[in-house]
Amino acid sequence: MLGLSLQIVLNGVTTGLVYVLMALGFTLIFGIMRVVNFAHGELYMAAAFAIYVLNGKLGWNYVPAIVFSVAFAGLLGSVLERVLFRRVIGNEFNCMILALAVSIALQSVALIAFGPDEVGAPRPVTGVLRLGPAVIPADRLFVGGMAMLLLAAFYVFLNKTHLGLMMRAVAQDAEIAALHGIQPKLIHTAAFGIGSLLAGAAGALMAPVYTVFPYMGELPMMKAFIVVVLGGLGSLPGAVIGGLLLGIVESAFATMLGTTVAALVAFGVVVAIIAIRPEGLMGRRA
Amino acid sequence: MARRIVFAVLALAAVGWPFLVENRYLTHIAVLVTISMTLALSLNMMLRIGQLSVVHAAFMGLGAYTSALLSMRLGLPFLLAFPAAGLLVAAIAAALGPVFLRVKGVYFVLLTFALGEGIVLIFQEWVSLFGGNNGIYGIPKASLLGFAMSTPRAYYLFGLCLAGIAFLVAVRIFRSALGAVLDSLNENEDLSQSLGVNARSYRVCVFTVSGFFAGLGGSVYAHYTSFLSPEAFSFWTLVDLLVINVVGGIASPIGPVVGAILLVPLPELLRDAKQYQMLTYGLLLMTFVIFLPSGIVGGIRDLRRRRRT
Repeated sequence: MLGLSLQIVLNGVTTGLVYVLMALGFTLIFGIMRVVNFAHGELYMAAAFAIYVLNGKLGWNYVPAIVFSVAFAGLLGSVLERVLFRRVIGNEFNCMILALAVSIALQSVALIAFGPDEVGAPRPVTGVLRLGPAVIPADRLFVGGMAMLLLAAFYVFLNKTHLGLMMRAVAQDAEIAALHGIQPKLIHTAAFGIGSLLAGAAGALMAPVYTVFPYMGELPMMKAFIVVVLGGLGSLPGAVIGGLLLGIVESAFATMLGTTVAALVAFGVVVAIIAIRPEGLMGRRA
Repeated sequence: MARRIVFAVLALAAVGWPFLVENRYLTHIAVLVTISMTLALSLNMMLRIGQLSVVHAAFMGLGAYTSALLSMRLGLPFLLAFPAAGLLVAAIAAALGPVFLRVKGVYFVLLTFALGEGIVLIFQEWVSLFGGNNGIYGIPKASLLGFAMSTPRAYYLFGLCLAGIAFLVAVRIFRSALGAVLDSLNENEDLSQSLGVNARSYRVCVFTVSGFFAGLGGSVYAHYTSFLSPEAFSFWTLVDLLVINVVGGIASPIGPVVGAILLVPLPELLRDAKQYQMLTYGLLLMTFVIFLPSGIVGGIRDLRRRRRT
């Protein structure tokens, strides 16, 4: 029983950390621009394909490949903001439609370029580790460790750098921030870029663990959405807590009752939370 | 006067051509247009109250499965199964509405998304009832008062009537006192509430009517195609309906009508290339949201207004 619980928690935390990476970028973009980025999963997919091409096809080393893929996702996000999202900002409905359009377009581009088949990226880490009675695949542990490093880096960035301070200011009150000489447009591009960077990191890390295909971003995007609603839209601590919570709860239900029940429970929890406490566990009331 | 007659003849030709032209394939597309039109109108009612409902594809599925199962398992005639499909979905919408419509915008999107995914998951996993991913085959063709609807033409006529009714209802709702209330809510919700308007009950009413038509549309779809599988009611069906609305224009019921006529035949042209269809949809949505957010109908209306002044 102890072994099973440990296994459930370990599985949950390693999955949960990836959810957190996705959810943090998603909630950052929402907090600063009020854009629900339905295309978040496609940035995850873009980075995964970049790893597949660079590491798998062109034979780059894993480390430069991952750096390049993550940077690619970040750049793609900034460009999307500059070229598209900037034009509809302030209109929540149009933002949602545009994000949906970007998501569909990126998926179709991947379909045209790579076809619908699931392909595998090379696995840099293999084997399993034993932790008492529990077994943990080394690649998942690697992903979890990298995710934690990134989270720490993101925390430092947000709290200790000037750009991070400006972002928090815009998220809190864009008008007051503008009065203090912060250019909201610059912050928007930066926030969209960094949010996409985090999604790209999740995609690049997970590419060797799962398979790579054009629709691979849909599931993580949905999880990020659920996590962010759990934690409160726009709340960064909420995204961390929500992500770990969803990971562990899902892992528990999936182990004991199967994945279908786990998915239904996740949906049920979301419905209940929005109905009872729409601002989420950690969110502020608007 | 002469202009009116020409217009009337043209309109009649536009609606009645499947009875003049003997082409099964074109008539088939025309049937699909009328079904999509009904569903897009049902989604339009929600968009008019400022809520993007993502559950409507699943609502269509509920209507389709209800109607199919009632006629296959219980042997109910189409005349009973068809309204039952609409009423069941309407009842679900009426029951969930008071909870769901407490929230707006993104939260409503997520709530309806979760509900929709949950419903489709049940279609997939409850194999003994819904047939799982293999779906249900051999749904009987509809018949009305002993008159069997066996040709696409019959379905076209039926679908056209249904779309027409949905259109009239959508127009009525928003022109009535209810429409004035809904407009006032869109305009300034706090102010209208201070005048004693119970915002939520009006919205629940629209959600219910909208669900009713989604269920009816699903029922026609089920008996027309005679085959159902869960993937037909996925998120992508909703994207179709949304594209129809955005391209046509969401501000009036004419928008989805125009959108359905223009867009439903499109996948048939790009039939062998799903990826190019997706790309087209994505680019269309982007273009319209950025350059013509009021859609074709809204754009024409603006142009006319500008010319007049």
